[in-house]
Amino acid sequence: MRFTVSRDALLKPLQLVSGVVERRQTLPVLSNILVILKDQELSLTGTDLEVELIGRVSVEPGGESGAVTVPARKLVDICKSLADGSTLDFSQSDDKVVIKSGRSRFTLATLPASEFPTIEDEKGTSSVTIEQQKLKELLDSTSFAMAQQDVRYYLNGMLFEVAPEYLRVVATDGHRLAMQTLSTSNETSGTQQLILPRKGIMELARLISEGAGELTLMFGSNHIRARMLDYTFTSKLVDGKFPDYNRVLPKGGDKNVIGDRKELRQAFSRVSILSNEKYRGVRLILGSGELKILANNPEQEEAEEAVSVDYEGDSMEIGFNVSYLIDVLTALNSSRVRIILSDANSSALLEAEDSETAEALYVVMPMRL
Amino acid sequence: MSVIRKIVHIDCDCFYASIETRDNPALAALPIAVGGAPERRGVIATCNYLARQFGIHSAMASATARRLCPDLIIIRPDIARYRQVSEQIHDIFRDYTNLIEPLSLDEAYLDLTANDRHDGSASRTAAEIRARIAGEIQITVSAGIAPNKFLAKIASDWNKPNGQFVIEPGQVGGFLKELPVQKLHGVGKVTAARLHRLGIQTCADLRALNRSELSRAFGSFGNRLYELSRGIDNRPVQPSRIRKSVSVENTFAADLPDQQACLDALPGLLQQLERRLNGLHGQYRITGQVVKLKFNDFVSTTVETRSVHADPGQYQELLKAGFERGSRPVRLVGIGVRVAPAAIQAPAPATGTDDLIPDSAPHDGQLALFKD
Repeated sequence: MRFTVSRDALLKPLQLVSGVVERRQTLPVLSNILVILKDQELSLTGTDLEVELIGRVSVEPGGESGAVTVPARKLVDICKSLADGSTLDFSQSDDKVVIKSGRSRFTLATLPASEFPTIEDEKGTSSVTIEQQKLKELLDSTSFAMAQQDVRYYLNGMLFEVAPEYLRVVATDGHRLAMQTLSTSNETSGTQQLILPRKGIMELARLISEGAGELTLMFGSNHIRARMLDYTFTSKLVDGKFPDYNRVLPKGGDKNVIGDRKELRQAFSRVSILSNEKYRGVRLILGSGELKILANNPEQEEAEEAVSVDYEGDSMEIGFNVSYLIDVLTALNSSRVRIILSDANSSALLEAEDSETAEALYVVMPMRL
Repeated sequence: MSVIRKIVHIDCDCFYASIETRDNPALAALPIAVGGAPERRGVIATCNYLARQFGIHSAMASATARRLCPDLIIIRPDIARYRQVSEQIHDIFRDYTNLIEPLSLDEAYLDLTANDRHDGSASRTAAEIRARIAGEIQITVSAGIAPNKFLAKIASDWNKPNGQFVIEPGQVGGFLKELPVQKLHGVGKVTAARLHRLGIQTCADLRALNRSELSRAFGSFGNRLYELSRGIDNRPVQPSRIRKSVSVENTFAADLPDQQACLDALPGLLQQLERRLNGLHGQYRITGQVVKLKFNDFVSTTVETRSVHADPGQYQELLKAGFERGSRPVRLVGIGVRVAPAAIQAPAPATGTDDLIPDSAPHDGQLALFKD
């Protein structure tokens, strides 16, 4: 194999692809990336067996096809340290790869491409095509609610529900839940649910953070695959049963509170300074026209805020983990929010006031204080 | 050195077998064992003293035991009943101290330093505990009384069964001098053989070596050997032990012939593991995954990786890697997770992805969204 490629064209895909490579590996070949040249197109593949990312780069004409794996970290470091605008000559001889650029020369150890585990192409059962930025919004508005290291492993991920007329994502850690629905028309027969692991979500969000253009999500029985112009991203699915989110969406809350989102968020943030650092509990006292927020900590320090809200009705008191509320108020982007409560032991529903345009929905369980 | 501690190690005499005999006195004069059936490749969990005369011991394959003693009666274990008896014994312990560290159903350390019964005499108090267990529960236990855990454990074995032995603080040096090294906690067959090769038979021999010599030869365990040989063991009696791993395993009635058969065994084990993990109520977080395989020649191998959840796919990969090391039929498959206490998690960032509070932690007041 032999090819010539500009450093600037190679660097970004190389960094993204090596991002999925874990530092600690059970198999040596997993710390390498697979480099393939075929029909003048260079493809780079990184994997941790759970997530796989393929990046495609065009090279200068006249290369020689082939495939080999090289150490990911070292290749990135070499590429990064070369000057802007430089060119890399990449050539394989026996079990070594030589990279030449100007007066620099690097000889890297390789492992055979045949040892590299790639995820086989799986026939998808349904597919969704959406703007990358739409998907990014979907992930950004919900991914914070995923569990991180829960023994209920299926919560350490995000539910994707595909129906012919919508795509819905749901994340929950068992204390709060975030859900957003996007109207799309999808190629699917019936409704399909699958769980993407947390790492898959994080890598996908990173990959599309600046991406423009469309992306096609293919849902298979074991994998989800996202195809873009220059990248193909594949993640294993979590084999488990996601809790039925319909069961936990609160129904029949009779206390309808509407307030300014930023004002509320700032008030919660200020009060949180003096909440218990570990449990983060705050007390909400709701009265007609006003929401009081109180916090105290083990040192007996106290914070109190009063925020004007649209509310007429009985007064009530309820406790929450303030971080959960701040997360939601940060994820929403409407100017006003609606909070629906029923009693001190039942969950709260939060959404944008004009929920016609906003499909994001948040459920937060209270705390007993 | 602070106060001299009084640690008692209580060890029931062939616990499971004693309960079986108590509940069916006809068995008393017969060689009995509690364990798995020989035809299903069970192993002996306990056996009575009569059976021991035939050379039978715990962890021996039931088939071997049956060969040694064709009349051996092998009883299927009834762990729920044994657990109940163990609870009754612990009820008695609690009359004397709250510092109880269970090692298993039939063994526990008690810290009687603060005990003031019998003028503060730990050995007379231990005798009373043993008499009460014999009277109220009708099984016999042995006790070891010493200034620390490791000596107490050695002492409880000294006058077994139905006996007790005291190592007074002043006798520690003399007691240890003659003690064979393989009696030390953590010295098994392999370490003992290495020590013997170095000409070390007793703790007195061991004490001839200094800390750095022992560390060089035995790594971090060398340091421990240095202390044990001098009777030093400052481990406190810990009422709840911190788990380092949670695992489940299964020895199959027939060897699993190939990799696919092993993979097929995973879902069942995963279910068991999940049940065990759910029982921990979020007190721990997962730090790694482990697969253990024992091949048909009894050689075992473990493969592990860092991980934050018990991912089924990862178990498959580990199992494949483990199988390839042997590539022969497998008799046992185990899966597990390494855990660390949940409390030592990194503090949540101030802007708040504070979603790490373990579910159902009893004291934090956070209500759960769904019960599962």
